[in-house]
Amino acid sequence: MEEKYEEEIQRLQQEIETCEAEREECLRAISSQHGETLQRILKTISVQKDREDGVINQAVSKLMTEISDLEKDHRRQTDISGISLSECCLKTLEKSNTKTIQQYRLTGRCWLLSFQVEFALTEIQDGETILKKVTDFNIISDGAEFKDLCGFLSSAEESKSVFLFFRTLRSFSERCKQRTCTYQHFKEKYPDVVQLPEGCRSEIMVIQSPQLPGCTMSIFWNITVSKEGTVKPKIDLLMKMPEQAQKLDTESVVESAPGCFQSLLTAFGVEATIESLIQSVCF
Amino acid sequence: MDNPRQKGVFDHLMMLERKEAAILQRHQNERLEELRTTAATLRAKKDRIRVETSAIKNLKAQMDKGLPLDDDETAHFVKLEPYLLMSRRMQLRDLQTAHRLIAGYDLFESKQGKSVCVSFHTAFEGVCLETYNMEMDLNRMVQISRHNIPPCIPLEKLAKENLQTDFKGFLQTLDLHLNALAGRKQQITLVKELVGTVEIIEKNQLCNFLALVCKAPADTDEDVLCTLEYGDLTRCLPTHVAIDGENKTLIASPQWKEHQVLLMETPVHSALLTMRKLGSIS
Repeated sequence: MEEKYEEEIQRLQQEIETCEAEREECLRAISSQHGETLQRILKTISVQKDREDGVINQAVSKLMTEISDLEKDHRRQTDISGISLSECCLKTLEKSNTKTIQQYRLTGRCWLLSFQVEFALTEIQDGETILKKVTDFNIISDGAEFKDLCGFLSSAEESKSVFLFFRTLRSFSERCKQRTCTYQHFKEKYPDVVQLPEGCRSEIMVIQSPQLPGCTMSIFWNITVSKEGTVKPKIDLLMKMPEQAQKLDTESVVESAPGCFQSLLTAFGVEATIESLIQSVCF
Repeated sequence: MDNPRQKGVFDHLMMLERKEAAILQRHQNERLEELRTTAATLRAKKDRIRVETSAIKNLKAQMDKGLPLDDDETAHFVKLEPYLLMSRRMQLRDLQTAHRLIAGYDLFESKQGKSVCVSFHTAFEGVCLETYNMEMDLNRMVQISRHNIPPCIPLEKLAKENLQTDFKGFLQTLDLHLNALAGRKQQITLVKELVGTVEIIEKNQLCNFLALVCKAPADTDEDVLCTLEYGDLTRCLPTHVAIDGENKTLIASPQWKEHQVLLMETPVHSALLTMRKLGSIS
């Protein structure tokens, strides 16, 4: 008798697990395939609830509170990590007592850089310890900035370094943001002198005074990422002058300019250096 | 011949036996009852989940066909409401899990917002390693009250630099230090697995110094000593690699010069594996 019950309990537990997994998959399918419809309906539900005075089903109201807490938490996570996730597609590929494999497909943004990644996370229970490791990693990303990341991206994929990828993406995007903000600042401050031929998110800024049409100073602000994920900016100056002017350049200012530019950078920082360059052509 | 005392003892023993059997029986009944209740509860739970699952499936089919769900406030829609909310909850929970996983660190409020706890998750090449925690009091000044960050991490220096002025920057730098440490530690663990190829003769707690003896291939007898120094504590790769050995011509050979570069540019365990593949070490 006892054995019969024990068997039944075990069978029931297994059935519940399968059923729960099925329910989860179905709930996930609704939110991923009908995201917009779902959002619209949820909005009307919450509006309706606000209008009605407290006559809400207890289960519904509990769910609503849970959702609003989770939404709050999502905003907080986004704010603190700088990574904004817009979509998460989670699939359980394998599940047993000791091993779980889950596949993640994530879409999101880090500042203005959008990314899409796919990875599989394997969890193996070994006694008291749980071993967690990434077993498959793919990065699907586009956007002009990512061309500087190419080498790093392939090495990160190869070594399955999902976590390193996000850490590097964060510091890389911060550097990009700094560059864009600086370029925009100078473009707004000196609209006649400063040009951004490839837009404010590219690495080039050209300084050219309307009074000196032949002379240009181009700033190349590259952000390099090593294979191990170290992000470093590299800023160079390129001078261009008409030949006639070059003949007058007896102290070879043009030649020594890039070197002087580097000394200025280390002494005063990027903004003050660019400011002084612009000042030098605005009489 | 009946000895009243003897009879008494037998009676007593019999009584005890009967008592024990009764207790056993009772226990068994109780256990059976317990099992029956558990089974009944589980059966009910299973049925409930089954009903729910099929209702959710129907809902999905309805949505797949593009049928309107909320055109009138019918009882039908009221029934569907919780499932739609559950779907949203599922979506948000998945996002939360994913975010926790990729962000590297996470923050929780505690003591009614008077303090925050941050947990840092470290990993190396996709393998999740230690988690460190830190609690900070949020009075006028942010103060670290408790933590289990290893003492070899220059926490005080980092806190002095930007804990008050740039909180996110502080978290990121600390995260970088912890991950670099975990990465260097993990590399040592992986090197230890290369038994017979290398032997670690010296290392330290901060894992920023490592001395290895690389065993020579079987036909030669010239072991090579590699010392790796990790000058940048935010990195997993060395800043200085020295190669030494008795055979000076061997260590000055172009092959070993290449190995030196390899050790500078790739994690030590994979560099050693490459060197073994090339036949430089056994």
